Amino acid sequence: MHPAGSAAAGTPRQPSKRRIPVSHLGMADPHQLFDDTSSAQSQGYGAQRGPSGLGYPTASASPQAAFLADPVSNMAMAYGSSLAAQGKELVDKNIDRFIPVTKLKYYFAVDTLYVGKKLGLLFFPYLHQDWEVQYQQDTPVAPRFDVNAPDLYIPAMAFITYVLVAGLALGTQDRFSPDLLGLQASSALAWLTLEVLAILLSLYLVTVNTDLTTIDLVAFLGYKYVGMIGGILMGLLFGKIGYYLVLGWCCMSIFVFMIRTLRLKILAEAAAEGVPVRGARNQLRMYLTMAVAAAQPLLMYWLTFHLVR
Amino acid sequence: MAFTLYSLLQAALLCVNAIAVLHEERFLKNIGWGTDQGIGGFGEEPGIKSQLMNLIRSVRTVMRVPLIIVNSIVIVLLLLFG
Repeated sequence: MHPAGSAAAGTPRQPSKRRIPVSHLGMADPHQLFDDTSSAQSQGYGAQRGPSGLGYPTASASPQAAFLADPVSNMAMAYGSSLAAQGKELVDKNIDRFIPVTKLKYYFAVDTLYVGKKLGLLFFPYLHQDWEVQYQQDTPVAPRFDVNAPDLYIPAMAFITYVLVAGLALGTQDRFSPDLLGLQASSALAWLTLEVLAILLSLYLVTVNTDLTTIDLVAFLGYKYVGMIGGILMGLLFGKIGYYLVLGWCCMSIFVFMIRTLRLKILAEAAAEGVPVRGARNQLRMYLTMAVAAAQPLLMYWLTFHLVR
Repeated sequence: MAFTLYSLLQAALLCVNAIAVLHEERFLKNIGWGTDQGIGGFGEEPGIKSQLMNLIRSVRTVMRVPLIIVNSIVIVLLLLFG
């Protein structure tokens, strides 16, 4: 399962990383997350918009043409557009301080194949052999190229779909009112925040040296919404029996998925081979992983049982 | 389920207040969680108890002034808007 080189990895604290050469992935620029589609099309659009833009003022009614031909308003337009450009520059410079936009872009670099494979993995993780994220020059590969990498697209979409499906379920039972949608969304978001804070606190207390970032954690914890949606939909179609069956299956799958994913992040690489090495410390980390994974089915049940009657 | 983001914020504020009012001399020293009792050796493993003590001490040091401001704002808002 693991390449032989990782067993002889140098420092015990770094997770083993598999390096892949750039040519193997067929990418032009290794740090480019998205394909560059700007070159050909924008030229076409610019060429099309040019003549039509020039043609518009003269084709419109005469008061507008007079207004635009007035030199004072020309200057005003030029001043206004330069102000807008300055403001845009300012926002672009400072937005990175508050919201890590470049880091977030990594989590949305997905494509349809990845989403399909990841959803299959969330519902049936039992046959997947290799759970490690591939690295490339010390940065993890974008989710588009590795099915093990966490992404934020699926959790975000699943969360929104969950809120809508909850509204649908409430509507079929004549319990719907528009502010209930906001309440469902707020409740699910509050549980997610609480979970993230609790896990961060326990990671701090157990002094785990891990490269699990907060956004990674949000991504992993957001995967349970997929199972919840499946459970609610089956409950709507087939009643309580269908709901319990599908929810039970999704709970088991999320449990296995979380254990296999978190084991590589939280536990040291020696324990990831399956053999507990240094008693107390690794045991505590294993308990932490099991607790995090066991909290997922509980929350999945808690957030959906009141929607299916 | 009335668990909203607002109630989460309220609970967080109350928890931070609770940590901030723990008295150093009368309480923490008596249960062995004082700030000068926590420094063990320079071994590898800090252990959960010393991590907790560090966390309590840092929360109390860092959040003292912001808590005054946030508490005042919350008190005024709750008095005005119920």
